[in-house]
Amino acid sequence: MSESSPLLEARNLYKTYRMGTVDVPVLRGSSIHMEPGEWVAILGASGSGKSTLLHLLGGLDTPDSGEIRFKGELISSHVRGARNRYRNRDVGFVFQFYHLLPELNVLENTLLPGLVGAGIRGDRKRARELLEAFGLDHRLTHRPRELSGGERQRVAIARALLNGPEILLADEPTGNLDAETGQEILDLLKREHEAGLGIMMVTHDRSIAALADRTVVLQQGQVVPDESPVSH
Amino acid sequence: MYQFLLTSRYLTSRIIPVLAVAAVALCVALVIVVVSVMTGFLDMVRDSGRTLMGDVVISYPVVGIPWYDDLIEEIEALPEAAAAAPLVDTIGVLRMPYPEGAGKEPKMVQIWGVDPGRFAKVTTYADTLMWPTIPEAARYYVARDRLYGPVAKSLDRQQKIAILRASGYEDTTSMSDGQVADLATALTQPEWIDHLRTVVLNSPDVIRKTLREDQLETIQSAVEAEIENDFDLEDNYREDGLTMRRNGQPGMVAGIHVSDANYRDSEGQYKIGRNGHWWLPRFQGALTTIPVDASGGTLEPETEVLPFLNEFSSGVFPVDESRVMLPIEVAQRLMHLDEAEIVDDLDPTKVVGVEPARATMILVRGQPGVEPLALRERVREAYRAFVTRVEEAHPDGPRPPREGINFGLNVLTWEEQNAAFIGPVEKERALMRTLFSIVYVVCAALVLAIFWAIVYEKTRDIGILRSIGASRPGIVWIFMLYGLVVGVVGAFFGLLLGWLVTSNVNGIHDMLAEPPEWLAWGLAVATAIMFFWTVIKLFGGRILPVVLGVMGTLVLGVFTTLIFLLDAQGGLVIWDPAVYYFTEVPNDIDVPEAIITMIGAVIFSLVGAAIPAARAADIDPVRALRYE
Ligand SMILES: Nc1ncnc2c1ncn2[C@@H]1O[C@H](COP(=O)(O)OP(=O)(O)OP(=O)(O)O)[C@@H](O)[C@H]1O
Ligand SMILES: [Mg+2]
Repeated sequence: MSESSPLLEARNLYKTYRMGTVDVPVLRGSSIHMEPGEWVAILGASGSGKSTLLHLLGGLDTPDSGEIRFKGELISSHVRGARNRYRNRDVGFVFQFYHLLPELNVLENTLLPGLVGAGIRGDRKRARELLEAFGLDHRLTHRPRELSGGERQRVAIARALLNGPEILLADEPTGNLDAETGQEILDLLKREHEAGLGIMMVTHDRSIAALADRTVVLQQGQVVPDESPVSH
Repeated sequence: MYQFLLTSRYLTSRIIPVLAVAAVALCVALVIVVVSVMTGFLDMVRDSGRTLMGDVVISYPVVGIPWYDDLIEEIEALPEAAAAAPLVDTIGVLRMPYPEGAGKEPKMVQIWGVDPGRFAKVTTYADTLMWPTIPEAARYYVARDRLYGPVAKSLDRQQKIAILRASGYEDTTSMSDGQVADLATALTQPEWIDHLRTVVLNSPDVIRKTLREDQLETIQSAVEAEIENDFDLEDNYREDGLTMRRNGQPGMVAGIHVSDANYRDSEGQYKIGRNGHWWLPRFQGALTTIPVDASGGTLEPETEVLPFLNEFSSGVFPVDESRVMLPIEVAQRLMHLDEAEIVDDLDPTKVVGVEPARATMILVRGQPGVEPLALRERVREAYRAFVTRVEEAHPDGPRPPREGINFGLNVLTWEEQNAAFIGPVEKERALMRTLFSIVYVVCAALVLAIFWAIVYEKTRDIGILRSIGASRPGIVWIFMLYGLVVGVVGAFFGLLLGWLVTSNVNGIHDMLAEPPEWLAWGLAVATAIMFFWTVIKLFGGRILPVVLGVMGTLVLGVFTTLIFLLDAQGGLVIWDPAVYYFTEVPNDIDVPEAIITMIGAVIFSLVGAAIPAARAADIDPVRALRYE
């Protein structure tokens, strides 16, 4: 692995969904890359394939063709066990709808990647620290349904960060929140970014994308640099 | 492992897994109860052979086997045989002590004349005796019998008439003295005691005028003892029952259901009619038989009046309902099978020989570990040896019956004698086993259906788990572990339930046979409460509580109606002792069968869980996560 190679790099991704007999091509040769600690925003119209791209980058799905490399290693052709480990350690997902397990409390939800990964007990100390840093220390034994949307999303981010990944894959993390709460989440991401976390964030919103170091647009199945004027 | 965390949370925070556990538990309990009762029934059938008859029986009905003591000697010399006992088996009419007054009920009974000592060695007779001592309910009556008994016994004709008239015995006012005296002869000793006591307490003048000085003295002390309630009731009813004698005089031991005054309450306890008054050992009964001569002609009926010494309960209903046991000599006398002198036809004073006593059955018990069939063969050999020996020793005497000539002679094991009964029961159990293995499939299908629903409901959770790195085998494990826990927990609850039902099966059965009032009214009240709850919920604006309420009301209502109907019809008797032979439903868990059932339930729960688990692993995480 050379010094200059990007942290995460996808080349020429193709992905086609099949609806009955009709093929729906979503990605048609998309390429994207991010450097360590970089914040990349992905813009695009609804249905343009942003989520699909993010799932491929996170190893949750496989492309029809093309390759994805993490630190120079080929993710897209990884054996299954290695891809599970990649999802568990190297990346963390955050979704628009939080996606917490309703039966587990806040601490257990946060701890889950630790339990899945290796530990019988998981790293409780780190989970507590994260939740404390996110202002949730008084909510540890609450169930997700007892929390507000903003609180739920903070738990989801804590969960994504538990195993100390280098990349956070966030799919419209504020899409379901009001402006004020969304801003809190973005502030939180900004703090983590400043501490060195790489973020790949999908969004509809140009003003949110403006927080990123770099913005790309997904259109016609291809990733292109954002050409519209940026307001800083 | 996150699987443990998830399994425990999924189990405790949802209703569906409780349903799965309940389904498994019910299946397990069902199989355990049914198989345990069937196995218990077969065991009881087998055991009852030993309890009642020993292992091998030689029988030659009516005429009997002469010189049977020689035969017993021959048999007891066998290394395979532990003991042998002679028996005279016949039928007769027993006049019961009830009802009060004239017109006592007669009852058809089977009479077993036994040698009590030897009989107890072959069977477990001693364990079947019902009254080791006087039952609590009867103590008062027994005490009175003892206090007033001597006077009641010493009453003469005139005194009896006076006492019957003074006791307020309903019919005597319009009767002549002669008629009253006739009635007096029909009364039992305990009844006399009742009348005497009534007169002593209510008409002291009559007593003072009627009784003699010595009788008055006895009565005086009886009354004092009764007032002080100082009942000194030493008894040896057990000893009497074992020896079939009281004070040297022979008596009877009747099956517990021979007296129709005995009954079982819903707790399975024997109760004695009229609060202990009809405790049979207080009374005596008259036994009448029709003896038969050697060629089958009937002779004059014979009657013996014998005290009841005790009662026995073998648990085999047809036996307990009809059998009366007494010393063999009495039975031999009743059937003219006792030893008699043979006199010259022309000169009845000249004794020409002895007609030996006879026994219609010889019961043989084998040594522990000896196969009944092997024992039977040895007993047959011993019987042949006995015939040869007797024919040499008594060339002119009566000959014992011989195999191949006297077809009424049988040497059979107990199982052979009852083959027609045992065979079908065994087949029935095999059939039940086969049928109930279907329950396992039902169990697996239930777990499958319930887990399918759980997996469907948990699709998103599975997607989330995959997104944080859970592998497909990891997902499979969640549901297999879940299935394992459901199976194990269900199996244990099933065992518990099965054990509870099996060990209380008699109580449950008696409750069905005679539904207690509180159950019926309790259910009625519950129905009413449910109904009003439903009516209140009707205004609540939500449909589910109303639907649940209506269903609950209907179910409770149907149960209430059923119980009241049952009550009105005199109860539901599933285990009719007359059909099933035993008065008690077997209530021991068949342990090996229960363990197999539990293991089976766990395995089939896993089988049921495997398919939904595989489906869970195949869920596409991307699809699972895509929408809220
Ligand atoms: N499993 C599937 N089968 C068929 N078509 C699919 C499937 N998943 C996604 N698609 C289609 O692929 C296209 C891209 O979907 P994707 O969710 O990646 O878009 P998106 O850019 O994230 O949209 P949005 O902004 O609305 O979230 C859409 O047209 C969608 O209908
Ligand atoms: Mg999307």
